[in-house]
Order: sequence, then structure tokens, then C-alpha cells
Amino acid sequence: MRIRWTKTLLLLAPATALAAILFVYPVFGVLTLTVHDGTSFTAEPVRQIYASQLAIIVLQRTFVTAATVTLICLVMGYPMAYFMAGLTPRRRVMATYLILLPFWISILIRTYTWIILLGREGILNKTLSSLGLTGEPIQLLYTPVAVHVGMVQILLPIVVLTCLTSILDVERDLVKAARSLGATPRQAFWKVVFPLSVSGAATGGIICFILCLGFYVTPTLLGGRTSILIANLIDLQVHKTLKWDLAAVMASALLLATFACLLIYWGLTRKRSEFATGGLAR
Amino acid sequence: MTKMTRRAFGVGAGATAASLAAGAPAFAQETTIVVNGSGGALATMITKIFEEPFTKETGIKVKPTAPVSLPKLKAMVESGNVEWDLTELNGDDVVTATKAGWLMPIDYAIIDPDNKLPPIAKQPTAMVRASYSTVMAFRTDKFGKGKAPQSWADFWDVKAFPGPRSLENSPKGNLEFALLADGVSPDKLYPIDVERAFKKLDQLKKHIPVWWTNGAQHVQLLIDGEVSMTSCWNGRITPLKNEGKPVDITFKGGALMLSYLGIPKGARHPKEAMRFMKFRMDPAASAAFVKQVPYPGFVPGMMELLDPAFAATLPTSPENAAVQFEFNSAWWADNIDAVTTRWNEWLLI
Repeated sequence: MRIRWTKTLLLLAPATALAAILFVYPVFGVLTLTVHDGTSFTAEPVRQIYASQLAIIVLQRTFVTAATVTLICLVMGYPMAYFMAGLTPRRRVMATYLILLPFWISILIRTYTWIILLGREGILNKTLSSLGLTGEPIQLLYTPVAVHVGMVQILLPIVVLTCLTSILDVERDLVKAARSLGATPRQAFWKVVFPLSVSGAATGGIICFILCLGFYVTPTLLGGRTSILIANLIDLQVHKTLKWDLAAVMASALLLATFACLLIYWGLTRKRSEFATGGLAR
Repeated sequence: MTKMTRRAFGVGAGATAASLAAGAPAFAQETTIVVNGSGGALATMITKIFEEPFTKETGIKVKPTAPVSLPKLKAMVESGNVEWDLTELNGDDVVTATKAGWLMPIDYAIIDPDNKLPPIAKQPTAMVRASYSTVMAFRTDKFGKGKAPQSWADFWDVKAFPGPRSLENSPKGNLEFALLADGVSPDKLYPIDVERAFKKLDQLKKHIPVWWTNGAQHVQLLIDGEVSMTSCWNGRITPLKNEGKPVDITFKGGALMLSYLGIPKGARHPKEAMRFMKFRMDPAASAAFVKQVPYPGFVPGMMELLDPAFAATLPTSPENAAVQFEFNSAWWADNIDAVTTRWNEWLLI
């Protein structure tokens, strides 16, 4: 027993040390900066953030954007994963490669591509106007629409793959059993496959949601003035205005809000048996 | 196969070690100064025209870094780990950094022993490196034949000059442009009537889909047709115009700005850095530089080395200087905090 504990500790030590030095310590520094100005404790940065509505509005916008993008990703990703689960293993591997292909291209390049596609003189607007559908070019680039499109494109593969894993985990025999007991294919899906795979979808959704909260490149390149997210605002305070205390308050607020969301998610799902494994393989 | 690879690796590693040994410094006294600039094509030019000849002449090596960043300077000086020996700075950065005590006083006895530099170039903690203008750029093919915007009032006139526009995502310069568009005379701009400027900017806000944040972006917006007009840095458009792209600039109402070189407090090689600053004021090298990058500065004796037709296109030529206003860094350094807060709230909500 003791040997097993020592082993566990030894195995965990490198990762823990790395996380402590590179993650916990800096995060602690940021948290300190929000309430301590180097000599004494102060509530000034928090007061300033509260007095100016900017940070609060942008934080709200960030969470709304993250929720919308996650919803779009789930609605598009789950059916795609379901379709892939029905393929022969060989074809499924091919499909997985196709899904993973965009990961080989940097986010920057993928985002720049949307500039070419959505611009006023871009491919989409050129096509629309040559078909005679629009007179004036439509302003798509530098709008929230462009930001959503860019974010969904980047995050969709992650959602598809987490959904796929959990759908594949569902015993095919259970579906057969349901069918043999008289369930229609639709009933078999909604009563068997969906409840057993929903936790995986939810995990994919949570990962997607949290990644959204920290998005920086996409809103910078594709967004207009009213589509910047909290990461952009933090960057602005660090690099332009040099108000690191305000940046620290915003970062801490983001951290707290993220934890709050996770807590709510946990509270909603902890009593439900389909979420017992947290979407990880049974 | 594995064996082959291993042997090949061994040979390669041996060669690398040998070359490292050969490349080891021959003199114990050799110094390298770290000079921070804005990077990109500009840095390549600076390396070729200033840094390499400087190393040849003095034996002091120069390591260029980028980008120009006030937060980095702050972090370096405050942590005591000063990596740069010299850095580029813009006008209000100089004021802010000097107030905060991040810059070292400059000894002009080293840089300008014959006292040839004009006083405007010699600030106590920074020396003028270059002058550039933020001016109006526009597409020549969007407004009909012979029609081109000639003032900030035209920039604001969305009926006569339709199409989206872009401005920098910063109040600096934009408040001045708004006031000029509103009819304020260039000599009455400072102190800025912030209220009036924002009111004027309100009128144009919905015609600006995108607010640029760097020099590459405003060029891209104009070339891609995302906007028909934008504020821009004068040096970026001329090469495109020469390539035959339908773009042009006007110096009318432009903001004449200065860029500086300063030495961070706690820099390891301030003496060598000042020798390099002296070298940057060499008329022949500066003339060669300005032919590539039209940001002249006040190098004594340089203008005489340039073709008069070319000199006339520079932001500091008498004709161009006359139609611009001098950007007031001191006013901005005093007001930047309050105005930036207001700007961000105005822009981002």
C-alpha cells in the first residue's frame, strides 16, 4: 500500500510541479495585483472597473458569444458525430482525418482566410453581386457574424470528436435490444443513444465554451468595434494603457465567472446518472 | 538504416560542435548592444545601412530586437533585468517614460560633439530618430474621375465621398482630425477641445467598420477595398502608388510626428549605445536610409545629399510641413489616461 502511494506521488510530481510553477504561481500573482498595489491593499482597481461599464459589458458579451458559439457547435457537431459513428471503421478513420485536417493549419491562417471570403470585395460578396442578388456589398467582415463564423470553424472539430467518442461508447447491442423490443429507430435514438451520449456532448460543449472565453485572435482580426471580447480588452489594458491592475481585475473576473459557470454546470448535472462519468469513457 | 542515421547524426553533431568552437569570441572584450526597434522590413534596412557598418567601424556588435513596447520597457526597468541598450520610442512614450524615470539622461557631448543637431532633436532623455506623418490616404478609383478628398472635412463628408472609412484605434491624432474637419484652425488645436472632437467623431462612427491597429493593416484595408479612405503613415502608401495601385495620400491636415531613440535606465552598455546613436546621425547613411524609408528626421547635412524632387515628397519638406500640424506629445502625455478611458468607452460599448 505504501509503495503504491509513493509511486502515485512520484508519477504526479512532475506535472504538479510544472503546473505550480507555470500556472498556479502566475495566477496567484495576477490575483494579488487586483487587490494589492505593491505596498498596501487597495480596492481602487475593482472600484474603477465597476465605475466604468466597459469591462462589465464586454464580459457579458464574451459569455453570450461563448454560449452562442457553443450552441452552434453542438447543433452542428453532434449530428455530424452521429453520422460518423454509423460509418464502417475504415471510413470513420478517413472522416476523422478530414475533421482533424484544419488543426494542421494555424489559427491565424484560418482566420485570415475568412477575411478573403467575407470581405467587401471578397469571394462571397463578388458572387452575390455577379448573380445580381445585391447592389451594394454586404458588410460581413468586422461584424459579430464574422466572429461567430470564425470561432465555430475553429472549435467545431473539438466538439465533433468529443461527441463521437461518447456515441461510440454506447453499446450497439443496447440499440438492437431496443429495436427488438419494438422501438422505432427514432425512439431507439432518443431513449437509448442520446441519453447515453449526452454527457460526452456536454463535456465537448464545456471545453468549447471555456476555449471561447479566452478567444483573442478571431475577434481581433474579424471583429469590429463592438465585437471585441474580454481577452482583447485585457490586452488593451496591458499593452496600450499600461493599467496592469485593471487588466488583473478583468482577468480575475473572467476566472471567477468561468468557475461559477462550471459550478452551475456541476450543480445541474451531478444528480443525473447520465452525467456520472463526466463524459469520460466508462 | 538506423545505424546510418545515427552515424549521420553523429557527424552533424560533431560538425556543429566544431563550428561553435570556431565561432567562439576571439576577444574577451567584445561587446554586443541590444537595439530595440519596430522590426519588419524596416529592421532589415537598419541592419544593412546602420548596424553592419557600425560593427565594422567600432567592433561593437548590434543585436536588433522588436517590437517597440512601453510595457516591456516598464517591466525591464522595474524588474532590474534590462535587456535593451537602446530603444525606439514615440513622442508621448518619451514623456511618459521620462516622468516615470525609465530613461537615462543622454550625453550629447558623445553624440553631437560639434553641436550640429537642431535643438528640437535633442531631448534630455531621447534623441529624434525620425519624423513621419499620419496623413489621409484614399483610393483614387472610388470617387469618380478627378475627384479626390483634400481635407478632413472631405473625409467626414460621406455624401460627396461615399464608402466605408478607417481610422486608428487610438484617440491620438483622431481628435485633432475631427477638430480640423469641424473647422478649427491648425494653430488652435491645442489644448484639444475633447468634447467637441468626440461630438464630431460621433457623426462618422457608423461609417467606420474597422479601426486599424498597425501599419500593415491600414494598407491591407485600402488595397482590399474594405475602405475607401483611411488615416495612415506616410511611408506605407508611396511604394504601393509606385507599383501602380490606385491609392494616394495628401499631406493636407496631416499630423507631423517624431520618433525617438532612448536608453533604458539600467542599460548595460549606455556608452556604446550613444556611439551607435551618433552613427545613426551620419548624413550619408541616413540619406541612403531615407531613400528606402521616407522618414527623415533632423540629420544635419542629409537633405543636401538627396534629389530635390524626392526631398519634396518627404513629410518635412517645406511645402508638406506647411500644410500639416505639429503633433503635441506633451499635451497627450498629460491627458492620455483620461482621454483613452473615454475613447475606449466611446468606441467599444
